[in-house]
Amino acid sequence: MKKYFMIHDENLCIGCQGCSVACRSENNVPSGVYRLQVHAKMTGTFPNLKMDFLRHSCVMCEDSPCVTVCPTGASFKTAEGITLLDHRTCVSCKYCILACPYDARFVEPQTGEIGKCTFCYETRLSKGEQPACVTVCPTDALTFGDLNDENSEVSKIMKEKKVYLPKEEFKTRPQLGMIANRKGGNNE
Amino acid sequence: MNNMWGSMAQYNEIYWPWPIAVYLFLAGLSAGAMIVALFLRWKGIELDKISSSSKFDGCFKAAAIIAPITICVGLALLVLDLGKPLSFYWILIKYNFASVMSIGVALLLLYTPLAFIYLLVAFAPQIKASNISILESLSNLVLKSGLVKLMEILLFVLAIGVGVYTGFLLSAISKLPLWDTPVLPILFLVSGFSSGIAASVICGMVFFKDNIDQHVVAGLLKFDLFAIVCEIALLGALFALMFSKGGSSEVVAVQALGSGALAGIFWFGVVGMGLVLPIVIDLTVLKGHAYKPTAILLNTLLVICGVILLRYYIVYAGQIFTGA
Repeated sequence: MKKYFMIHDENLCIGCQGCSVACRSENNVPSGVYRLQVHAKMTGTFPNLKMDFLRHSCVMCEDSPCVTVCPTGASFKTAEGITLLDHRTCVSCKYCILACPYDARFVEPQTGEIGKCTFCYETRLSKGEQPACVTVCPTDALTFGDLNDENSEVSKIMKEKKVYLPKEEFKTRPQLGMIANRKGGNNE
Repeated sequence: MNNMWGSMAQYNEIYWPWPIAVYLFLAGLSAGAMIVALFLRWKGIELDKISSSSKFDGCFKAAAIIAPITICVGLALLVLDLGKPLSFYWILIKYNFASVMSIGVALLLLYTPLAFIYLLVAFAPQIKASNISILESLSNLVLKSGLVKLMEILLFVLAIGVGVYTGFLLSAISKLPLWDTPVLPILFLVSGFSSGIAASVICGMVFFKDNIDQHVVAGLLKFDLFAIVCEIALLGALFALMFSKGGSSEVVAVQALGSGALAGIFWFGVVGMGLVLPIVIDLTVLKGHAYKPTAILLNTLLVICGVILLRYYIVYAGQIFTGA
């Protein structure tokens, strides 16, 4: 069985928002809300400044609080470890939004439906393609693949580089890892 | 976080607004009133004496009728607050027993109809007098078949379940420090009980004036005083735990107790009006179980306002102060 994993290399990311735009167009995300954003975080004191680009999206927890709290089972995990939502049985009680430590879910303004990143499960993964954000990234900061396949790109990166998992204190075991930025004034 | 693109607006909403706070209050009130009704029935009202001539205590009748009505109003608010209110039936069809919300639905699915059926017991004399034959035969069926005792025990357990589950509902959210505490379920049960007593006394005195037993009222107020003291201790424990945890928990505790309108609601509304003033009235005007209707009404109204504000405060402060 496949175990999908994504890695966001914060050294390579330039904050161009290509991923965010690709996500919007691929998934018809309503205006005003985002499944995926890259935030710029400035630290340090002038002139020793450092800018980090941090991905903000669903991290596809293996132990997902959103799936645990969902009363109807509308939030569920696929066998490949992707957290999805069944819009038919979702009543939009917003319990999952409150439970998510990553603020990865939101209410779609017009429909009241719950929105979230799906790794483009329906439109791309099921056809063997990569998520839209990964395909458009101009610096290849995003890598996506099967962690159970030793020869996959993500497996190699996991072996070679130090990948951190966001908000580890919540013990949710995300399947979206990050490589911390080492560039900028603080690190020179 | 400084965001250059996009918008943070979608992450800063109050996802559970005031209808949820009111629901949490009404569910606690319903559970509390049900416990009061059962308590009064077990302590002072004998089943075999229920007939058209018997006089039930007003507080018992009031409690028995408050329980089903408040839970129904609360559930209506809950459904209306859903993003997709018309899909609400899925929550009745599909269950995930890892979810506190599902457990709550299952509890309420038993509790609510039973609370209505219990009216057949509580209002048996009126039903007999009313000559509505269907109700009368149903009432007789429940009373004569000996089902009452079983139903009462079940209702008691369910009422406690409804009272605590509202607390567990919030405490399951581990990212919000004000909610992520084991004190919340007990605090909600105790404050729900307190509001249930207060509402039963008020409604008994207003709507069932002729059946009021002053000793019963005095006894209930004594219980309420005890519940209020427990509430103070539980609130102390809640914040003490948050301070001792340190980190974001401590930050949230400082914010929730010290900043803005919510801290005002807590100190003046919840603590001052809802807890301290009732104790003062209990120990001064109502001392020695004096039966002074105006003082009792004021006291119980203050208690109910305090409990509403407590739910409002916990629901809003929990979502606003995240410690992030």
